[in-house]
Amino acid sequence: MLRYALTKLGGALLSIGMVVVATFFLFRLIPGDPAIAYTRDVPLSPDQLALLRRQMGLDRPLPEQFLDFVLRSLRGDLGTSYEYRRPVAELIGERLGPTLLLVGTGLAVAVTLGLWQGARAAWNHGGRLDRFSTGLSLTLWSVPTFWLGLLLLMVFAAGVGPVPGIFPTRGMEDVDAPDGPLYLLHVAHHLVLPCLTLVAVVYAQYLVVMRSSLLDEIGQDYVTTARAKGLRDAEVRRRHAVPNALLPTVTLVFLHIGLVVQGAVTTETVYSWPGLGLLFYEAIKGPDFAVMQGTFMVLCVAVIVMNTLADVLYHVLDPRVRSA
Amino acid sequence: MTRLGGRLAALGLALSLGASPATAAQAVPAQAQGQARTAAQDPAEGKRIVRLGAIQAIDSMNPFLAVRVISTSVHRWMYAYLTTPDPKTLAPSPDLAESWEVSDDKLTWTFKIRDTKWSDGAPVTAHDAAWTLSKIMTDDGAKTANGPAVENFEAVSSEDDRTLVIKTKRPQASMLELPIPIVPRHVWEKVPDIGSYEAEQYPAVGNGPYVAIEHKKNAYVKLKANPAYWRGAPKIDELHVIFYENPEAANVGLKKGDIDWIGRLAGPQFQALAGDPDIVQWNTQGRRASYLQINPGAATADGKEIGDGHPALKDPKVRRAIHHAIDKQALVDQVQNGLAVPAHGSIVPPMYKDFFWQAEGDARVTFDPARANEILDDAGYKKGSDGIRTMPDGDRKLEMRFSIHTEDPVEDKLAQFLTGWLKDIGIRLTTRKLDSNKFTEETGSTALYDIAISGWSVNPDPEEVFATHLCSRRPTAAGEGGGTESFYCDEEYEELYQRQLAELDRPRRIELIKQMQEKLYTDAPIIAIYYPNNLEAYRKDRITSITPIPEDKGILYGGSGYWPVYSLQAVATPAGSSGNGGLSAGLIIGIGAAAVVALGAGGYLLTRRRRAAADDRE
Repeated sequence: MLRYALTKLGGALLSIGMVVVATFFLFRLIPGDPAIAYTRDVPLSPDQLALLRRQMGLDRPLPEQFLDFVLRSLRGDLGTSYEYRRPVAELIGERLGPTLLLVGTGLAVAVTLGLWQGARAAWNHGGRLDRFSTGLSLTLWSVPTFWLGLLLLMVFAAGVGPVPGIFPTRGMEDVDAPDGPLYLLHVAHHLVLPCLTLVAVVYAQYLVVMRSSLLDEIGQDYVTTARAKGLRDAEVRRRHAVPNALLPTVTLVFLHIGLVVQGAVTTETVYSWPGLGLLFYEAIKGPDFAVMQGTFMVLCVAVIVMNTLADVLYHVLDPRVRSA
Repeated sequence: MTRLGGRLAALGLALSLGASPATAAQAVPAQAQGQARTAAQDPAEGKRIVRLGAIQAIDSMNPFLAVRVISTSVHRWMYAYLTTPDPKTLAPSPDLAESWEVSDDKLTWTFKIRDTKWSDGAPVTAHDAAWTLSKIMTDDGAKTANGPAVENFEAVSSEDDRTLVIKTKRPQASMLELPIPIVPRHVWEKVPDIGSYEAEQYPAVGNGPYVAIEHKKNAYVKLKANPAYWRGAPKIDELHVIFYENPEAANVGLKKGDIDWIGRLAGPQFQALAGDPDIVQWNTQGRRASYLQINPGAATADGKEIGDGHPALKDPKVRRAIHHAIDKQALVDQVQNGLAVPAHGSIVPPMYKDFFWQAEGDARVTFDPARANEILDDAGYKKGSDGIRTMPDGDRKLEMRFSIHTEDPVEDKLAQFLTGWLKDIGIRLTTRKLDSNKFTEETGSTALYDIAISGWSVNPDPEEVFATHLCSRRPTAAGEGGGTESFYCDEEYEELYQRQLAELDRPRRIELIKQMQEKLYTDAPIIAIYYPNNLEAYRKDRITSITPIPEDKGILYGGSGYWPVYSLQAVATPAGSSGNGGLSAGLIIGIGAAAVVALGAGGYLLTRRRRAAADDRE
């Protein structure tokens, strides 16, 4: 077990190293002079552009820039944002909370809803419930997030006809937000629409994976045995079939936990949610290469860490992996 | 199936149970609001708050670093500048500097600083101004926002509490348009490193009409009226700047009343607000010019040819023929939905009445395809059997590229019109869509373009946009871009530019600037196509009065100076609630109650199920 975990850990570290190298070169492949691109609407004299290039470190030879980048990355220093003139790590730290709240809540709800509906659908496969829930989730899955977000915003934030606009139109909090426990309710109130949008669009994937995985289990001998023991239908499902069917979803869920730090670019943009997705979006608009680089690296590392965890967990959960 | 139906019914019940307390809770604050409104007739009861929606977050509250329009606007409201544009004429007028004079050699400026107070009670002196300007000159970290403005400064000093002296290297006509907020020295000299200082100390010490009292990053800035302001406190109590990333969401916010005012709207966003009786659609002249860049034979600053522009475009006759082929009125009507003015001038929009120039009479290049064809025929560009012309020496067809940005529907539409018109005069145009980095590189550094779309927003002093057409702005010998907008390089234009820099007599300087526009118009390294309108909207049930700058058909948000926000008058918000905050609190309680009921119902269902399961086992 220990050897297995160490192998996985080594692999992860190697991947992270590759990410650092790839990030550096990837963001230098982007066409254009970062100093010019960043100041494209500001008239600057050649002297000021030279100063900006010096401040961005663009005047130094590439190998030197690379070495500097690697050393700094190892120290956890992700550079300084041109746009905000602040350390990228600090900017990311500031946005992490709101993103974890939004995407974390969204993921928890989507996983719960998806797995529950998926199990139901598989158990009654071909039935009306199956057709309805699978159909609904796939329809929502195909809807563009941006469109759904705006639609929900217009209906439930602005109000249409008899539907009152009871939700805020932006952000995580308003000016003069209440203090203490009421603040939590205030944020929760702001969280409803973005979270709903996020859940509606993604829960289908958990539903579909759960459904097909459970369908595989239904025909298995142990399920027949359980039935033969005289267990009630719901018991067979809950105690025997579902736990076995859960395995494939573990990978999926862990992969998505890793992606949580990516934020939800579209949802955060529609609802002006001050998270990492919005930061990344603004960095692209800037373009603020240091921020793009930093958020990209944090995302890659999070995905690698979570995948490694999933591998290890799989080992614990599934005896077949251990014997293999 | 019946079990499922039962559960669904129970769920529906839970939902409706959840819904009813919410509506009840909603009714309560409405009632409370009604009472408050009667109470608020006493002006002491309610605050007059205006909430401005901004489609940009603050990049920095440090005025030495901030470059985004939203941040520089907020700083204009927080700090006084030496001068401010006159609300009627936009010509420089006294602000922190009460008066000024300039030496005969035009190199020494002496400003008399107004005797007023910082918001913390300390006196404002010439030492504050001298410190601010010197800091930008000597500290690279302080140059980010306004470095260019002091590049020509030789020395800055304060002779006494009231006298500020600025010596320049060369005469500088734009001296009275310094875009620099003067900060309190006693606060800022304690900052160890200006280049990394966030300036998040509240209340921020300033001397403008408003004082910033709170900034929640990526969410809002809260400002309150400055009672110590030398012109007198503004007529509203608080100004909130609220950040929306998404313009459509901001529209929803305005319609709903979460915000009272949005500036800088795009055409479709502006049109979507039509028909709302509470919203004023503000459609006036804008500060931007849209133009086509025509590659005039690009070269580096030291004269080496670069890029792959079509050789025919080096010929001023071809550029003129292209100008004749463009129907600017049609572009305004079809591409801008009428929300623009066709351009018969150059890069200064008509909003700046003093500096604006346009071609009149015979000098005007009108939409005239026949004339365009005639010019090209006479110049020896013969049409082939496919209707496409070739170079006079016959070895290259007039097939050109039109560079636009990806995912810009307006530019897409523009390209369709242009392609059609140029086909009529024997030029085949193909559209090339580039992402903005690549676009900036190809049209500004490497010159890999024939015709490209561009545009620029102009300040009350237009000097900087004229600088973008100087020889020295072309890329360096090493190929590094220098910020040219046209790769233009013309001796006469250079001379006019240098002369206006040194011309301190405003009418004479205006004349020189008009001559530069005429030069750009006739040489056509750029062809101005239209001046987009300034589109804004505000709620008239909240904002009762606001004066634009300039006063006649001017801009509300994003113009120069602080007149519009200083002139704001608004309806008082009921006491005990600030904007929608009070309403939200009621709703929050309602939703909380709904959640509790839903959880309760869920819990009940669950226990019932458990019991049923237990029954089964027995």
